[in-house]
This record gives sequence, C-alpha cells and structure tokens, in this order.
Amino acid sequence: MTNSLSAPPETAKAASGGGDPAPKKKSRFDFLPYLLVTPVTVFIIALALVPAAFTIIQAFYRVDALDPPTRFDGFGNFTRMFKNDAVVSSIGNTGLYVVIGVVLSTVLGIAMAVLLQRPFRGRSVVIAVLILPWALPGVVEGILWTNIFDPNAGLIASVMHTFGADEGAVLLGHNRLLTILLIELVQVWQITPLSALLILASLQLIPDELYEAAVIDGASPWRSFWHLTLPMARPGIAVSMVQGVIATLNVFDQPFVLNGAATTGASVTMQTYYISFQNLDFGQGYALSLLITITTLVISLGVVRTVYRRVEL
Amino acid sequence: MLGLTLVATAACGGGGNAASDKDTDVTINVALAADPPPKAALESFTKETGIKVNWVNIDWDSLQTKISAAATAKTYFADATDVDWSRVGELGKLGWFYPIDDYIKTDPLKADVPQLASFTYQDHVVGIPYDASFMVTTVNTDLFKKAGADPAPKTMDEYTAALQKVKSSGTTKYPLNIPFAAAEGLSTYWYEATNAFGGTILDGKGKPQFTDPSSPGYKAAKWMVDALKNGLVPPGNINVSDSQGEQTLMARGTVASTFSDYSGLVGTLYNVPDSSSVVNKVQYIATPGATAPAANLSNPDGVGIMKTAKYPKAAAKFIEWFTDADRQAEFAGLNGPDKAWASYALPSHLSAVEKLASGGKLIGGDTLAALLKTSKPVFPEGAPAWYSKFSNAVYTHLHAAAAGSETVEQAIKAMSDTANDLSNGQ
Repeated sequence: MTNSLSAPPETAKAASGGGDPAPKKKSRFDFLPYLLVTPVTVFIIALALVPAAFTIIQAFYRVDALDPPTRFDGFGNFTRMFKNDAVVSSIGNTGLYVVIGVVLSTVLGIAMAVLLQRPFRGRSVVIAVLILPWALPGVVEGILWTNIFDPNAGLIASVMHTFGADEGAVLLGHNRLLTILLIELVQVWQITPLSALLILASLQLIPDELYEAAVIDGASPWRSFWHLTLPMARPGIAVSMVQGVIATLNVFDQPFVLNGAATTGASVTMQTYYISFQNLDFGQGYALSLLITITTLVISLGVVRTVYRRVEL
Repeated sequence: MLGLTLVATAACGGGGNAASDKDTDVTINVALAADPPPKAALESFTKETGIKVNWVNIDWDSLQTKISAAATAKTYFADATDVDWSRVGELGKLGWFYPIDDYIKTDPLKADVPQLASFTYQDHVVGIPYDASFMVTTVNTDLFKKAGADPAPKTMDEYTAALQKVKSSGTTKYPLNIPFAAAEGLSTYWYEATNAFGGTILDGKGKPQFTDPSSPGYKAAKWMVDALKNGLVPPGNINVSDSQGEQTLMARGTVASTFSDYSGLVGTLYNVPDSSSVVNKVQYIATPGATAPAANLSNPDGVGIMKTAKYPKAAAKFIEWFTDADRQAEFAGLNGPDKAWASYALPSHLSAVEKLASGGKLIGGDTLAALLKTSKPVFPEGAPAWYSKFSNAVYTHLHAAAAGSETVEQAIKAMSDTANDLSNGQ
C-alpha cells in the first residue's frame, strides 16, 4: 500500500485556481478627513498665508497714501527704514525688551512652576489668581501701572517721598535703561503666568519615582532640581521661552501707554504703527513688519534648537 | 501683523461699507475726544430727527490713528468724527472725508465762525469747527500774589522772572507746567511759545523758520528745555501729557502756570470743585510776547463725515445741530448748568461767545472773547498734508532734548531736516 500525500479532490480543485474568483471590491475615496480639516485650512490660508504674502509683496513697493501711485521700490523701504533714527533706536529698545523679558519670565516661571509642582491645599485657587495678569489686556495693565509710576501722584512716587526722596523723582522717560526695565517689568508681570503654566505642565509629567530614587541616592533638593527637574522640564521651558520671545519682540501696549511716542522706550511694533497709520507710509510699515516676522522666526528657531530636548519617560 | 490688519479689516468690513441716504430712523456713531453732551440734549435731537446717536469717546492721539486705519482699510468706524485743524491738509488731500459743503451751507457761517478757514481745503470745507479752542496762558493768581510776583506779565522775560520769583519764594517748588511727554500737546506748546517769541514755524512753502539760533522757534525750544533744566518745571513732566498736566498739576495747585493751556479750561476744569483744588484761583491772561502780549494760536477741533460713514446725510444733520450757535451757547452754560456740556470749552461761533460773555455765563468770557477775535492759525496757509510726520518729529525730538538724549541744537536740526525733506516731497 502506498501513502500518497495529496489533497482531497475538492481542495485540489480549489488550489488549482479552477474555482469561481472572489468578487473584487471597488475602492472608495474617504473624504471625511479632508472635509474635517478644510475649515481650519481655509482659516489659516485666509488669515495667515494671504496676509503674509500680501505683506511680503508690498514690502517691496512704495505704498504711501500721500504720494500715490503705488510702485515697485525694490529694497527702498528697507534702506529708508534703517536710515530712520527712530526705527534704529526702536530696534535697540526691542532687543533690550527681549533679553530682559525672556530671562526674567523664564526664571520666574520656573520658580513659580516648581513651587506649584507639589499638591497643596488651595493650589487651584493660587493658579487661578496667578492667571489674572495674563488675562488682562496689555493696555489695561499699562494704564494701571501708569498710575503707579506717575511721578507726581503715583504710588511709587508717594512711597519715595515718604522716605525722603525727591518728590519729583523721575521713573520713566529720562534714563533709557531704567525706562525700558520698568516697562518690561510690566510685561513680565503679564507673561510670566503663562510661562509658569507651560513649565508646570512639563513638571507634572516627571514621575515621582525619579525624585524618590534621587532622595534614596542621597541627592539634595538643589541637586534634584538641577539634575532632574531642569533637564526634564526643557520642553516646557523651550515653549515658554518661545512665547516670551514672541511677546517681547512684539511688545506694543505697555510702552505705548506708559511712555507715549518717546524714542527712549518705543518698540519696533510701535514704529510700525506710527509709520503706517500716522505717516501713512505703508510700504515701509510692511517692510518693518516683515523684518519683525523674520526676526521672530529666527530667534524662536534658535531657542528651540538650543533649549528643547526630547524627554522620554 | 500689518498685512493681516489691513486684509482682515478690509475683508470683514468690505460687505458693510455701502453708504445709505437714510437720514431718519437710524443710529449713527459719533467719535470725538470728549465725553458726550447732556443726555437730554441728545434725546431731544433723536426725538426731533429720528436719528439716534451712539457717542464714542476716544483720546485724541488714538482717535487720529483710528481714523487713518479705518479710512485706509475702507472700513466703517464712525459717521461723524474729529477733524482737527492740523489734519485738514492731509485729510483734504487724501479725500477721507466728505466735503461738508455738499451737505451743509457753509458760506453763511464764515462771518460768525472765524476759524472755518482753517478747515477749508481747496475751497471745500472738510469739517466744521465745534470748539474754538486756542492756546492761552493760565496763571494761578493766588500763588503768584503770595510770591509777590506780577500775575499778568506782558513779556516772556517778565513771565520767566515771575516764575522764578514764585519758585524762589517757596510758594511752589516747580511753578511751570510744560507737558514733555512725546505727544501732540508738546508740539502745540512749542508752536505757541514760538509765536510768543515773535515767529512762525514754517513759511508758505513749508520751509522751517526755526533753524537759526536767533530765530523765535529756536529760542522757544531752548526756553522750554531750559525751564525744565533750571527747575521751573517738575522733573516728572518728562512723561506727562498736556491733559495729565492740567488735571494733576494745574488743577491741584502743584504748578502756578501753564504757558500754553487750552481756552475754556478754567470753566470746565479749574473751577470745578470735584476735580480741582484751585477753584476761583486760575485766570487767563494775555499771552506774554517778545515785547508785548502776543496773539494766540488757534487750536480748534472740528467734526466731519467720513467717506466710510454708513449714514452721511444723518451725520450731516447731527453736525448741523451740534454746531448751531444757540446750541453751542447752551452747551457752554448759557441756559444753566443742567443744560451745559461739562466737556465743552468754547463755542466756535463768535455770536455765542459774546452772548455768553455779556450774560456773565462764560468764566473769563471777556478775556476769551477778546483773544478769540485776534487768534490766528498756526499755519496761515493751512496745515500741510504732511503735518502728522512733521509733528511727530517735533514732539519726539523736543522730548529727547528735554530728556537729555539730544541737545536743543540737535533736536532743531532733526526737526528742520524733516520739514525740508517733507516740503521737498521726500
């Protein structure tokens, strides 16, 4: 008797491909994802890309309401911009705003975040109160601090007078560095809460076990902070620094309300405003806007590349 | 940012810019740098015309840029809004406002409204002056008398000497108010001081008349900066605007005089008990001049109809009502305080001023009426279209000179360079 390893007749027939072929399903294009993303795409194109393109193009045209018609001007707007003493001064001022603002808001933000990291009774209330300065419009904050800084009737002047200082002691306006520092402190007061929250979000992701292990290994609180908290919080710190750069580089409300048009504290966005809506030289205004945008992007990218580190938990 | 502002506002407002000929059963926006008139008056206007008024109070500097932004983006902002004397040339050239004479007969107004000429561009009236404001010197006579100083000096030298006497007597530490904040009020202060020293700012072709150190304009700038450096002006005034100075210094007796104040403030601020501690102590005086009292420079505010208005005809009705001589007299207090407009300083109609003065209803009325008759515009040929750029240069550089970051010479050069460039079309 021979044992043949062969399939049953029915199976053999199917394997030979002689059976009816399976019906082919017609593929159907799925529109749903594209449908859902269309509104935000349209929104971004309409309110971001179109204005950006408009600004870029117009930056190379002479667009002056008092000197029509609009005409191509190459780099003329940029040349005149850098010959404008007020613009040059405002660039220096803005540089100071950025440095002071980003450093202070980051350091203070880290400090606040660390203090809020551990649960305690009333923490949610503290966080809610902490948010208030961020929620206030910059103009309102400027007006509030105007009264505080008022050299004749302000709170600080009154206190200084109580301690024997000259009743006419000037806080804003005379000394450029002091003026910029005081104005930026107002903005730091506004933006630091957001920095704190962004960093706190990163801190919340750090497992408690890591701190416990560090304690077991004999690490002091400071060493834990330096070698564990800070490295693990770098993503949040990077994001908060970027938002700090964006906010300070585009500062407008605080110097406008607190110091008027004085060149001692005017920012580049203020100059954009004056050039465009007071001088009606929109071409130069577009050029300055473009410069601000590019600078913001470059600095932000630099911050991300320098500070951000991927953290795996 | 700028592109987004213009594109977005144009897109959002593009569908709502069509003007309507309706002049009843509508609501118009009126935007001025002042609190609204008495509620009863506005209600009366509404009852009479069927036009409801939505009043918007915006500070002067911000209002100007809002007008620019709205006009540039061709978006609706207000139906009737401010036409300042200094912007008539610019607004006229740009065509951002309807010629008022298309809606209101302005010829009959000329005799009674002497400042109307300042609001005319190429034979068309851009706005009708509603407030005949002019720069005027105010003095706290009480402080001057306590110091033994002449409360009505006739010349700049006498005025300066009187201030020094007030200071040295210890009556007040800083006797003079000059608002050195970088804003329009600083420019107008310099214009008035230049006028007092016997000069003008620009010639008929827009060329600067203040470059030479012996010129009145140069002297005026130096006088202002020296006043701060010599302790006549509070050091904090480096960052004080004209309105702040009025409210926190002059009205509180902290300073003894404002050389270039605004007409009508004695009645609307300094003699108001709720906001002043110098009631019945501040008076207008004839502005000291180089050798004798000088004529005052006018600083009127007008009201006009924006090309982006929704209801231009309704706005015209409001303006006609708002600037009527009898109404101005009533707003100024002729018919009692309950019908007066607290923010209103001085009627633009001479007849209204005289009626108020003769009735004893205008504080300092005789003086104001006399000064109004002789007041003159800052720029006899009309403010140039590039005035805003020039003024920006003036107040930023005068501020810088006061702050010490520039010398007076440097500031004057920067201002004159700007005037020369602008008048040359650059």
